[in-house]
This record gives sequence, C-alpha cells and structure tokens, in this order.
Amino acid sequence: MQLTRALLGMRYRKLRLTTKDVNKGFYKGTGSGAMGRHTKYGGYKIEWSRVRTYVCPSLEGFKLTPFVTNNMRPTYGVYNDANGPRNPANYLSRWKSENGLD
Amino acid sequence: MASSAAMGPAMGSMLLQSCRAAHGVSARRAAAAAAAAAAVSLRQQQRAGLSTTAAMLKRHKYPGARDNRDHNKHRGESAIRRTGTRWRLSMSDEPLPKPVERSQLPRIETDENHGLWDFFYDRQTVAQAPEEDAKHGRGWSVEELRHKSWDDLHRLWWVCVKERNRIATAAWERNKSKLGFGDAESKTRDSQVRLTMRGIRHVLTERQYVWEDAVKLAETDPEVNLLGDGAAYTPSEYLESEEVEVEVPAAEEVPAAEEVPASGEAASEPAATVPEPETIPSGKAPESTR
Repeated sequence: MQLTRALLGMRYRKLRLTTKDVNKGFYKGTGSGAMGRHTKYGGYKIEWSRVRTYVCPSLEGFKLTPFVTNNMRPTYGVYNDANGPRNPANYLSRWKSENGLD
Repeated sequence: MASSAAMGPAMGSMLLQSCRAAHGVSARRAAAAAAAAAAVSLRQQQRAGLSTTAAMLKRHKYPGARDNRDHNKHRGESAIRRTGTRWRLSMSDEPLPKPVERSQLPRIETDENHGLWDFFYDRQTVAQAPEEDAKHGRGWSVEELRHKSWDDLHRLWWVCVKERNRIATAAWERNKSKLGFGDAESKTRDSQVRLTMRGIRHVLTERQYVWEDAVKLAETDPEVNLLGDGAAYTPSEYLESEEVEVEVPAAEEVPAAEEVPASGEAASEPAATVPEPETIPSGKAPESTR
C-alpha cells in the first residue's frame, strides 16, 4: 500500500487524529451511530427504530468453533483466473447448476 | 424533671427576700418590685435549670454577629458521672440478629440456562488457567470460509462473539483479582478469534460484490430472465434436447447443465466455460475434518 500524493507531501502522522488537531466543529465520534435526535431544549429523544437490536441465531447443534486445529495447515484457493474468487461467471454458472430458481 | 424540684426552695427564698424588702421601702414600690421579681423568677425557672444568667452571656449583640452556639456536641457528658449521651438512645427489647454461616444461608435461585452463563468457560471458575487458555488452534483462513453457507457464517460469527466475551470476562477477572499471568495467552487466543471474524467479513463482502457483478452478467445472458415473469433460468441445451427426444423427467436436467461447457457455447458465455469443480472441491473436502 502506498500513501496518496496529497499525504506524501505532508508530514506522515503516526498518531491518531484527535479533535485538537482539527478546526472547531469537528465531530470525531466513536464509530457508533446515532440512536435518536437532540431536542431543542437540550434533551435527547431516543428513536427506537434506530436502536440496534442484535439477534443471535440458534446455535443448537452447531459444531464449528472459532478455531481450526493446528494439525491442518491453512488452505488457500488456487484460481487460474485473474479475478480469482471474484469471478462473476463462476458465480452465475454455479447458480445455474445448483439453484436456478430465484 | 429534677430541675423543678431543685428550684422549689430557691424560688421560695427569693419570694421571701422580696417580701422583706417591701417592709423597708414604700408600699407601692414594694408591691411593683415584688410582682416584677416574681415574674422574673418564673421566667428564669422555665428557661434554665441551674444557672439563671445564661441569656446574659451572649456577648455580641450587633447585627451580623457570630452565633453564640455551643459547638461542642458532647459538652457535659462524662463517663465518670455516668451522664449518658445528650441525645436519646433508641432501645428495644428485640434480640439482635446474629451472623449466619455462609453454608447455612439459603441458596440463591438462579436460572440455570441464563444467557449470561455463556460469559464463563466454567460455572465454578471465573477465569481459565493460562495453560488452558493456550490450548487453541488457529483462526480460519478466508479460503476455508468461502465454502460455508450464509447460515454457517452467521452462526460462526456469533460463536466468535461469545468466545471473545469469555476471553474478555476472564481478562477482566484476572485483572480485578490480580490473579497474575495469563494476559499473553488470552491475547493470542483473542487474536485468532478476531482472525476468524475478519475472514467472515471478508467472505461476505466478497460474496456481495461477486453477486452484484453476476447480476450484471446475467442481464446479458439469454438463458437468464431477471424480470420475474417466468422461470428465472431456461437452459438452452435442455430445450434443444427436448425437441429431439421424448419428454424426459428432471433426471435429464443435471447432465444437461453439465454439458454446457462441453458443447462449446463460447460465444454467449466465454467465462462460464470454466468448470466449477476447480474451485469448489478444494474446500469441500476438509469440511469433514473440522
């Protein structure tokens, strides 16, 4: 990976950007989206349609673990194509042979 | 109160004095003085028990003067004289509760199947030993995850989330209780879980992009109908063979689809001639080992 031209001319930052490095009005955030709106009185109204709800699927009988045994070396795909695993023609032909309905 | 009984003789002597003084001076003055003295003595009797000059001791009378309050909450208390406290002590005949042995306490009812139990490896221990923590394999490679279905990836993601919860809980407990070593093992374990999660995200993103490209490709494909007004897929080979032969049930469909690359329809689908088995079986074989 290479930095863009604009960045190469500038000093290279190794520190994370903080709100003190930029002009005022900059909102860095925490990566978490808003779950409501500010009211004009200074309060905050939660909109439940925006509140995230995570549903864990049923894990009954599910035997996979986050780990693979160390006895097996990690496998890598062999693709003769330049597109590699991102070949849409392969996807389409597989869809035709396996599904072809929807 | 004891003060009223003690003041009885004192008040009587003061009244006597005032009566004696009345004989010396004129009668009018004496009567007024006697009335005033009686009133003063009554007031003093109500105000204080022993000292009658308490109110006169207030030195600062100007506005804004500091208060003359007694700041000693324990003034007059004495263990030798056994005065007790200046405030009332509440007392009751109820027996004091005695501490109970922990083993004799009633067992707290908890839900055995509560989801929060998933935050621990074991119900008896808060954190695994570092040796146990180090017993883990490697994370999944992306290629291994490519051959998993959406449902499998979805569930594997949540398995990873629960594993990370357990690791974080153990790390927190280790830090809180100062259990000692184990941080390095926990971090390597966590990094492998995150490797798997990264692979899942990678595969799903890749799958989405390939799907988008495949939809574009399908628009130019004469065999595929994306309008939704009929069958989505009409294999051209199958239709030709149907005209020649008699009606064949669905068993014919599978070999017909496989014959597409062999028959050499390179003009319409150049890329589709790549045989699918090249990519798929490499991952399908190790599934049984996991």
